Amino acid sequence: MVFLLVNDVTYSYQGKGSVINRVSWGIEEGEFHCLLGKSGCGKTTLLKLAAGLLQVDTGSIFLNGKEVVKPSPEAGFVFQSPTLLEWKTVMDNVLLPVSLRRKVTTKDRENAMKLLETVGLAEYIQRYPAQLSGGQQSRVAIARALIQQPSMMFLDEPFAALDAITREELQDDLLKICKQQNTTVLFITHDISEAVYLSDRIAVMDQGSIIYQTAVQLSKPRTVEVRYSPYFNDLCLDVRQVMGAERS
Amino acid sequence: MKRFPLYSVLLFLILLFVWEISARSMSELVLPGPFVIFRTLLDGIKSGYFTPHIIRTTLEVILGLFFGGLFGFMTGIIMGEIVFLRKLLFPYIIASQAVPKLALAPLFILWFGFGMTSKVVITALICFFPLLENTVTAIKYTDKQKQELFRMLGASRWKILIQLKIPAGMPGIIAGLRVAVVLAIVGAVIGEFVGGSDGLGAVIIASQGMMDTPLMFATLILLTAMGMILYRVVQLLEKKWLIRFMKEKEK
Repeated sequence: MVFLLVNDVTYSYQGKGSVINRVSWGIEEGEFHCLLGKSGCGKTTLLKLAAGLLQVDTGSIFLNGKEVVKPSPEAGFVFQSPTLLEWKTVMDNVLLPVSLRRKVTTKDRENAMKLLETVGLAEYIQRYPAQLSGGQQSRVAIARALIQQPSMMFLDEPFAALDAITREELQDDLLKICKQQNTTVLFITHDISEAVYLSDRIAVMDQGSIIYQTAVQLSKPRTVEVRYSPYFNDLCLDVRQVMGAERS
Repeated sequence: MKRFPLYSVLLFLILLFVWEISARSMSELVLPGPFVIFRTLLDGIKSGYFTPHIIRTTLEVILGLFFGGLFGFMTGIIMGEIVFLRKLLFPYIIASQAVPKLALAPLFILWFGFGMTSKVVITALICFFPLLENTVTAIKYTDKQKQELFRMLGASRWKILIQLKIPAGMPGIIAGLRVAVVLAIVGAVIGEFVGGSDGLGAVIIASQGMMDTPLMFATLILLTAMGMILYRVVQLLEKKWLIRFMKEKEK
């Protein structure tokens, strides 16, 4: 079943030409898709459309069979920066999506605790965001997006500001959690090897259109060795050539 | 609180010494020495002469700060949240900012009488603007991504305001309160200058009439102490709120 269906979507910001130009895309349930592209190619806009933060001009977007007109409680969102609330503890930040809808129960706290354990932050629940490192803040943001057990996750370059090793750890954690909960993921990045490592399928965007797509045939779960295999590197090179096509 | 460094205390002692020396060569009417002033201050406090005046001025300052601050904060929220109202009212707010509000004191005495009301109104008016401006700015410039996060989580406009915009704007709002506290004392004292016989401002005017310069200095010291205490209270409030932000800066 196609879980997220983007159907011939166009979008433009007022007064500026179209940012998204007749894009169609589908993600099967439980799949991990990456959207690659240079800055300003419209990938974040497409993500916001799919998440219901922006409204399409023409075309339509369906999430789990329902048309997307506003943000759905079924979806989790992770932004470019962790966007944690500085005046709340790690625990309360993770529980924010719940506390905005209803009173937090002991059960919710247990869930949050489990998630924080999974991302390795069990000892930090009473800390404030300013007391955490950048990587730890990203982990909290991921735990927050997962607290309502969303069936769909949207991630917008969540690891862009992290160092290489921390990023690899977080990538593995993310894959592990999504596998556990059978979450469908749309992940945005400009890092080619990150996209290849994480995804089942990759799309490359340029000037509002999808110009290239390919399936990634790598065994799962992915390991460090995968990153250095010939297939991995060949695929990265292919994608790199597509992305840099107009310059050469 | 940071301890005053030793050289700062030293400078204070030197200044006191210089003051005392120069005061000796002058009439007490022009420049009383620190010891004379200190004695007047102590006597005044002991005999209870200052007590009603201190209470009066403090009450005016606190009431004015409370009403002016609260009103400024509320108006700031409404104007920060509703773009139409902001655009409608801002030219008037800017115009009224340009009015020297202290010059309105005689008018308020005329309207509200010589009692406490007129002083509270003047103080409130002065405290209104710093809080208004800072609140509007804080509400208006809340981090866009955090707002998107709240929308993504299906939060209503009310919840975004209460749970995001106000707490996130707290550092700016408290900074406005800090400005307001200092201005509040100025407002109350000016009000007392213009009319009435109670309060520390009135004591200054009375001491001028009696040519009792040591009393004038003693009152000034009391006013300074009052300002410092109030400022300190707001600083403590700020620390409690901003401690998490501070830690980030220390890194």
